[in-house]
Amino acid sequence: MAKSIIYLDNVKRYYLVGDYFVKALDGVSLNINEGEFTSIMGPSGSGKSTMMNLIGCLDTATSGIIKIDGESTNGMNETELAYIRNKKVGFIFQQFNLLGKQSALKNVETPLLYGGISPKLRKEMAMEALDVVGLADRMKHRPNELSGGQKQRVAIARAIVSNPSILLADEPTGALDTKTGHQIMELFETLNAQGRTVIFVTHDLSLGNRCRRQIHLRDGKILGAI
Amino acid sequence: MFWENIKLAIEAMRTSKLRTALSLLGIIIGVGAVVAILNLGASATENITGSLAQGGSDIISVYPNPNERTQSIFNIQFGLTLRDSNEGIDYVIPVMNSHGNFKSKDATSSSNYLGVESTYFSTQKLLYSSGSGFTAQENIDANQVVILGASLATKLFPEESPVGKNITLLTGDQGKMTTFEVIGVLKDKEQSYTMNYNDSAFIPFNTFTRKIYKITSVSTYIIKLKPGYDTVNVTNQLNKFLDSIVGSDGYNTFSSAMIANIASQVTGTLSLFLAAIAGISLLVGGIGIMNIMLVSVAERTKEIGIRKALGASPSVIRGQFLVEAITLTLVGGIIGIVFGSGLSYAVTNIAGWTLKLSYTSFAIAVGFSMFVGIFFGWYPAKTASKLDPIEALNYE
Ligand SMILES: Nc1ncnc2c1ncn2[C@@H]1O[C@H](COP(=O)(O)OP(=O)(O)O)[C@@H](O)[C@H]1O
Ligand SMILES: [Mg+2]
Repeated sequence: MAKSIIYLDNVKRYYLVGDYFVKALDGVSLNINEGEFTSIMGPSGSGKSTMMNLIGCLDTATSGIIKIDGESTNGMNETELAYIRNKKVGFIFQQFNLLGKQSALKNVETPLLYGGISPKLRKEMAMEALDVVGLADRMKHRPNELSGGQKQRVAIARAIVSNPSILLADEPTGALDTKTGHQIMELFETLNAQGRTVIFVTHDLSLGNRCRRQIHLRDGKILGAI
Repeated sequence: MFWENIKLAIEAMRTSKLRTALSLLGIIIGVGAVVAILNLGASATENITGSLAQGGSDIISVYPNPNERTQSIFNIQFGLTLRDSNEGIDYVIPVMNSHGNFKSKDATSSSNYLGVESTYFSTQKLLYSSGSGFTAQENIDANQVVILGASLATKLFPEESPVGKNITLLTGDQGKMTTFEVIGVLKDKEQSYTMNYNDSAFIPFNTFTRKIYKITSVSTYIIKLKPGYDTVNVTNQLNKFLDSIVGSDGYNTFSSAMIANIASQVTGTLSLFLAAIAGISLLVGGIGIMNIMLVSVAERTKEIGIRKALGASPSVIRGQFLVEAITLTLVGGIIGIVFGSGLSYAVTNIAGWTLKLSYTSFAIAVGFSMFVGIFFGWYPAKTASKLDPIEALNYE
C-alpha cells in the first residue's frame, strides 16, 4: 500500500481583516501519497499559496489536522517547524527568492548550513545539486548574472540539496516564458521520476494537465479531485 | 555556522561603509576613553612611583613660616623636639638656606647655598662625582669647606677640577666675604619638587650659623622616618603637632608621598572624567548599534523570510544578527584601542612620562565592545527571529 506523505483533514485558514474573516482556506481535506505528482490549479486568490504554505510549515492552520510524513504538525513550535522545513520539504517560489548577494553555490548550500552539515560536505552536495539542474558551470554566478530560467534552476537545486521527500512549487513558471516554463516542468518530472513527491501550483492548463493528479481550488475549497 | 555569520556580518558592513562608520563612532570614542584611562593610570602610577623612589619617600620637610611670636621657636633644638614628640621619626636634620654670590678665580655665580649637617648627603641620596663630604667633626669645628652641585661646579670651574680650590662667598649688603675650600662635587641630580641640587652649594651647618649669619632660626627641618612608617600618616601627625604650637599658617610640610597622593587624586579625577566620557559614549554607541541593527533587520526582512523558509530556526536567526552586532562593536573596539593608545601616547608625551601600555586594558576594551554588542544587539536580533516567515517572504 502506498504511503501517505501529506494529509490534510478539514483544514481552515482564516484571516481576520477588519471585523470579518477572509476564509483563505475553508475546510480542505486531502491525502497525497509518496511519489505522486500533483498539480494545483485555480483562480488567483483561491487559496493555492495558503495551502502550500500550510503544507510547507511556513504557516499554521486556524483549525484542522495536517500531517507531514505521518507526523502531525499541529502544536509544533517555531523551532520544530523550522526543522521540518529544513529536512522534509523543498520550497520553490514564483519569484525565486534567492539570496541576492550570494553566489549560486552559496545559495544552494544554505539549507545544509541550517541542517548542520560540515562546510566541505556542504560544498560537495551543493555542487551535485547544481549538476542535477544543469548549472554546474554557473555556481560562482550571482543571481543578477543569471536568466530567469537559470535562477529557478538554482532555486530547484536549493530545494533538492538536502534531499527532502516533498517538493512544493508555488507557480514556479509564473515569471518565466512558455518555453522555459516547459523546461522547468520537465525538470520537475525528472525529479518526480526519481521518487520525490511534487506539488506544482500553476495557472497554465497545458502544464497542469501534464500531471497525473490535478486539484482545483476555488474560494478556499477543493472543487473536484481526480 | 559561526564563521558563516561572521562572513555575513562583514559583508553587511561592506555594503554600507559610511553608515557603519558613523554608527561605530560612539563605540570608538567609548572604548578609546576606556583604553586611555587604563593606560594613563598605569603610566602615571609607574612614573610617580619612579620619581618617589628618586626623591626619597621616607623624608618629610618642614618649612617654618615664622612671625615675631614664633621666630624663636624654630631653632636647632626644635628639631629634637619634633623627633621626640612624634612617633616614627628616626632623626631630624636642620638646614639653613640662603642666597649669595660665589666667586672663583675665573667666574661668578649667584646661587643658593645651604648650611647642613654631615648626614644630609646620605639622607638625600646625594653622591659625589669627585672629592667627598665633610665629617661631623668638621661641622662642629665650623670649618670653611664647601660642596658644590654639579652645574654650579662647572660654572665656577669650567676648565679645571674644583676640588682643593678656593671660592669666595659674598653675602649681605656690605659685601662680607668668606673664603671656602671646595672639598667635594656632587653628581648630577634630578631636580626634586622643591630643590635644585645641581645649582646649589653646601656648607657645614655651624659654619653657616657662626660665620655667615649669626642667627638661630632654621630654614628647613629635614625629617627622616624610621622604616615601616607611612609618610602620609606621619605628615598628618606632624601637622597636628605643629598646628598646636605655631598655628596652621606658621609652617608648611612637604613630602613626595603627599605629592604622589595629590597626583593620584588628579589622575583619579582625570580617570573619573574619562570614565564619564566612556560611559556616555558607550551608551550612545550602543544605541547607535541598536539603531543600525534595527535598520539592517528591516532592510533584510525578505532575506530573513528566505532563510526561515529554508529551515533557519528563530535561534539561528537571532544568532546571525547577534554575531553581526558583536562583529560590528568588535571592529569599533579595535579602532578604539588604536585611538585610545594614541591618546595615551600623546598625554604621556606632554606629561613627560614614559608610556606603559597595559595589555589588560586591551582585553577589557574587547570585553566591553562585546558586551555592548550583545546588550544592544539583543533586541534587534530578537525582533528578526520573531518575524513571521510568510510576512517576511512577501515583504518588498
Ligand atoms: N495575510 C493575509 N491577510 C489577509 N488576507 C490574506 C492574507 N494572505 C492571503 N489572504 C487572502 O487569502 C486568499 C487566498 O490567498 P492566496 O492563498 O494567496 O491565493 P492564491 O495563491 O490562490 O492566489 C486571498 O483572498 C487573499 O487575499
Ligand atoms: Mg499564490
